[in-house]
This record gives sequence, structure tokens and C-alpha cells, in this order.
Amino acid sequence: MDATETPAPDQHIASAASSERIIEMTGVNKWFGAFHVLKDIELVVRRGERIVVCGPSGSGKSTLIRCINHLESHQEGQIVVDGTELNADVRNIDAIRAEVGMVFQQFNLFPHLTVLENCTLAPIWVKKLPKAEAERIALAYLERVRIPEQVHKYPLQLSGGQQQRVAIARALCMRPKIMLFDEPTSALDPEMIKEVLDVMVELAKEGMTMLVVTHEMGFARMVADRVIFMDQGEIVEQAEPETFFNNPRYDRTRAFLSQILAH
Amino acid sequence: MAEPARTFRAKPDRPAPAQTVGAVGWMRRNLFSSPANTALTLIGAYFAYWVIATVVDWALLDAVWQAETRRECLDAVGRSGACWPGVFVWFENLIYGLYPKDQIWRVNAGFALLVAWLVPLWLERVRSKVAIGVSAVLAYPVLASYFFLGGDKGFLWSASIAAALTAFVWVWATAIAERRTGRTLGELVLARADALDADPRHHRRLLFYTAAAGWLVAYALVALWYLPYVTTNDWGGLFLTLVISGIGITFSLPAGVVLALGRRSELPVIRLICTVFIELFRSVPLITILFMFTTMLPLFLPVGVEVDQLVRAIVAVCLFASAYMAEVVRGGLQAIPRGQYEAAAAMGLGYWQATRLIVMPQALKIMIPTIVSTFIGFFKDTTLVSIIGLFDLLNMARAIGEDTDWLGLFIEPFFVVTLIYFAFCFAMSQYSLNLERRLDTGQRS
Repeated sequence: MDATETPAPDQHIASAASSERIIEMTGVNKWFGAFHVLKDIELVVRRGERIVVCGPSGSGKSTLIRCINHLESHQEGQIVVDGTELNADVRNIDAIRAEVGMVFQQFNLFPHLTVLENCTLAPIWVKKLPKAEAERIALAYLERVRIPEQVHKYPLQLSGGQQQRVAIARALCMRPKIMLFDEPTSALDPEMIKEVLDVMVELAKEGMTMLVVTHEMGFARMVADRVIFMDQGEIVEQAEPETFFNNPRYDRTRAFLSQILAH
Repeated sequence: MAEPARTFRAKPDRPAPAQTVGAVGWMRRNLFSSPANTALTLIGAYFAYWVIATVVDWALLDAVWQAETRRECLDAVGRSGACWPGVFVWFENLIYGLYPKDQIWRVNAGFALLVAWLVPLWLERVRSKVAIGVSAVLAYPVLASYFFLGGDKGFLWSASIAAALTAFVWVWATAIAERRTGRTLGELVLARADALDADPRHHRRLLFYTAAAGWLVAYALVALWYLPYVTTNDWGGLFLTLVISGIGITFSLPAGVVLALGRRSELPVIRLICTVFIELFRSVPLITILFMFTTMLPLFLPVGVEVDQLVRAIVAVCLFASAYMAEVVRGGLQAIPRGQYEAAAAMGLGYWQATRLIVMPQALKIMIPTIVSTFIGFFKDTTLVSIIGLFDLLNMARAIGEDTDWLGLFIEPFFVVTLIYFAFCFAMSQYSLNLERRLDTGQRS
């Protein structure tokens, strides 16, 4: 690794992490049929902490964050999110999901609703906010993600980058305590990646607790408090970005980093 | 040392070459693009001319328009021209069956009422369209069945008719209010309540009182209203066809949605029940189901309980249609990507909310062509009720040729019936295309 590639300390956004544990995963195991996709996951996330998860495809990183809002259910171990344990109890799960925002690789906006309706739907139906207030909140967040005067368009009339920013605004409208990002820029054209990452960086500056599955290592260096490397369903290592990029402990991590940083 | 960057300017668009656009371009491309294509165009044009000319000769130019019996027609033109008088004499029966002549206005009024009920759905600036649609499905049949059936009515029957009448008045009152003021009737009543009494807890009560007062007035009117009883044995023709297919179609969509969701349910018992129902009714011909319902149903009913023949046919058609519709709906549900469910779930929407707000609106939209073509199929399938002795449009047409005066007159009635079926089915398919276009606005990339 070239030493000049490491970001200067002042480029890294100051950590906002508190000591309060907001996510705790203990001994989590998960199988898809016979395939052991998560193995003995131990992970603690503190409020305000920003974590980047990377690893080769099929390493279980998406599954890991999808377990946190119970889009996938784990078979063994314990996951506690903001003091609530995730189990088969439906009421728990809906309460958790209302507090955990998620942004998907494929945006998953609702194509039959306008941008504004996409953002007000869950606040109106889940949080039971009055329509006017939901719209006020939505417009504020849409402005923050820089979707000007497009709020009455339908998602498919927007570019990929714009759609992903709407998806971020839509998640934020629920005023989540945690934001999960599942490869948010992987489906985007290169010209649009930056506009989405900029929005995410701003979010990080505001102290949002974030778990981001991504291969954008520049983003990781600038934003992450901790980078987690996964392979074959296990957390291989986790460290602060500086240590992680300059001094990885495992050969597997080094091989992975040399692959994605090669070009 | 790098040169300074040059400025890139995109070239302006030029119009397409003249011969490729417009009517001439279209004909060149589609009709006369090659010698073989030109030959086919000419042969096709001649064939179309020949078919149309033959039909026009038979139906209009050589036709007999006045006669007392089919014999007179045959003596005049033989078989080369149509014999229309038989159809004219029977025309009322083709449309209304054996419905008493002096009561036929009731059938017309019943269908006019349906149109009047649905008109607000096509008006702009009407907001309560969902409620109006639901009221048309739930309340209109009550009112229509009294129009069609008549007879004495007990308290329950009168009460339901009065409620349906109130609903109809509400539909128009709220539609007019919404067009004039932009607020629904309910909101106007609540605003009035606010002026009278500041306590908001009393407001909902006022809404209820208004509805109850409307119902009472309607009840008084209904009590004074009497229509003589017409047995369903006298129903027939287009009227009967519309009643059976209308109920079948209206019932099949919601029932199909429920069955399709049930078949995809994660609860094994519900899934099993729905799957068995769907597969059972889909794998048996409609004729068999009709026979079963007319001949075998009495075996299961207690002695002395009689179920009207028409009701049996309608129930059979409804069950058959919902099984088919369930598979259509399931097809539409399959087309919704998993990401939509996940996005809905990730925001905390429950199963029913996600289904109602996210999945169904998208699924129903992509299903419109299939749904309407299934509807058209149901409409035509109702001709099978002639098998169990009901005189629907097609069976009534056949009856003409069995009348002694018009013995053997089959082609002309069937020709008319064909035109009637075509008019209805074509209207349905055009409406569906129109609906697709309207719902599609802005959602294409």
C-alpha cells in the first residue's frame, strides 16, 4: 500500500459514536437451506457509529445487515436492536422496522407512486402522521437530498442517482435511528455514484448510525469508524479504516484489498 | 504540456427523410414494400371487398323487411336475402325475455340506475371514487333486484332497499358537493356541525344522524313503493345475460384477489383450502358445474328448501369465475419484484398494508388486459346457462326458429345476436385499452 493514499486525519469525519450499544449481535448463525451463510457473528454497534462492511460476493454481508431489520431471520443466536430482541414476535419486528431505515441496491422505489407519495406513504400509514405533516417532512428531506422540483414525478422518470437519493429521503422520512445501506451505489452509472455518496457523507456528518455494505473504499476511509471484512459467512476482521487499509492482519483481507484497490 | 480543452458541441437533430414518414411512407413500408407484399395486399383487399359485399347484399339489399311468416320471405327472395320481420317480432323477447310487457320499463330503469350510479366515477374533481365504487358493488344490486323482482317486502328487505336508496342519493350529493366546493358531503356536514357545536366529539354523531335521517325518509318512500312480482322464470334474453355475467364478473374480481392471496399465504391451511378450491373449479367444465348445481344441489339441501334456478346458475358462474380470476391475479402478483415487498416491509408496513398500497395497485394495473379478456370470456360463457333451461340471449335467438310462424329462421337471429355480443365485448376491450393508457401516464421510464 502506498502511504500517500491514506487520508489525512482532518479529512476523516470526526466520530460521533457514543458508548450506548444500539445493535448487539451475539452468536448469530443463519442457513439458507443447507447453506451456512452466517457463522457465529459477534457484532456490537454503538449509537452514532458508522460501519462499512465489505467482502467478496456471497460472503454474507448483505444477509448480515438484512438480519438487523429482520428481512432475513436468523436461526441461532441473539440480535438486540435498540433494546428490543428480534424474534418471531411480529409486533417487535414492525416496531424495529419503523426505526431502521434501509436503502437497497435496486432502489426499490414504488413505481406507481410519485416521489412525494413514496416518501409520505410509511409516515402516514405506519406512524399515522397527518398527511400535511408527512408532506412537510418529506419535502424537507427531499430538499436535503437535492431532488428539486421533481417531487411530483414518478420514480422511473428520474435517473438512477436521483432515484437512489429519493430512496434515502424515503427512509429518512421515518426518522430512523439506524440506517442500513445495501450496496447503494452498485447499480449506478459511474457519473451518478458521487451524488449518492455525497448525500451519505452528509448524513454521516449529522451523526446518524450507519451500516453500509459497499465497495467504495474512498467512502470507507472518509466516513467509517470501523471497517468490517467478511468472507464465507464470518467476520474475518474489523478495524479503524487507517489500520484496516494500511495494516490488515489477515492474508485474506490483504488479497481482497489488493483486488479491489488494484485499479 | 497539454493543449487547452476544446468545447464539445452536440449536432442539432435533422428531420427524418420524407418518404419514411406520413401516410405515403406508411403505405410504402407496410403494404407495398416488395412485389410479393404488393400481391398479398391486392388479394387481401379483394377478399375483404368480397366478404363485405356479400354480407351487405344479404343483410340489406336483398333482405325482406315486411312479412307475416317465414313462408312469405322465402316466396319473395328465397334464401338469398335476410328475413328480418321474424327478428323484429321477437326483438323485445331477445332483449327482455318473457318479462311482462307493461313492466319492461323496470328493466330499463334498473340499468339506467346503474349508469347513473357509475357516472360520478368518470367525472373529474370527484374524490370519493373508491367509496362510490364500493357502494355501487354493495348497494346497487339490492336496489336493482327490487326493480327486477318486485313483490311484497318485509322489514329487512325494505330496510336494505332504503339503505341502498340513501347510498345512491349520497353518491350524487357528494359528487356534486365535491365538484362545486372540493369538499365531500361528509366534510361539509362536519363543517356545519363545527359552526353549531364546538365539541368535536359530537361531530361524528351528527354525521350518523344525517345518514339515519336520510335512511328514514328513504324507508318511508320505500314503504309506499310497490312493484308487482315478476318471477325469474320470465327473465330472459340480453337482460338475463347481463344479470348473470354482471354478477359473475363483479363477484369474481374481489373473490379472485382473496383466493390468489390465500394461495400464496404462508399459512398452510389457508393455502391448501384456496389451492383445492381453485384447482377443483378450474379443472371442471362450466357446464358440469351448472349441471351439478341444478341437479345435485337439492340433494344437499333440507327437504322443502327450494333454490331458484337462476340463483343456482349465478352461484355456479360466480364460483367458476372466481377460480379463474384467482389464477389471473396470482399471475399478476408473481410479476411484482421481491424488492417491492422488501421495501414495504423495511419501512414497517404490515402484510395487509403492503398488499393494499404497494402490491395490488401495481399488480392490477399490469393485469388489466388479462382481467378484461377473462371478463369477456365469462360474458360469452354465460351462454352455457341455456343448457339448464334458462333463456339467455343465445337461447332466445334459437327459440325464434322454433316458433311456428318463423320455423327454421336461425341465421338472422344469430346474426343479430352476434352483433350484440360483438358490441359488448368490443366495448369492454376498448375500455380496457383506454384504462391502460390512462393508468400508464407518467409511469413509463
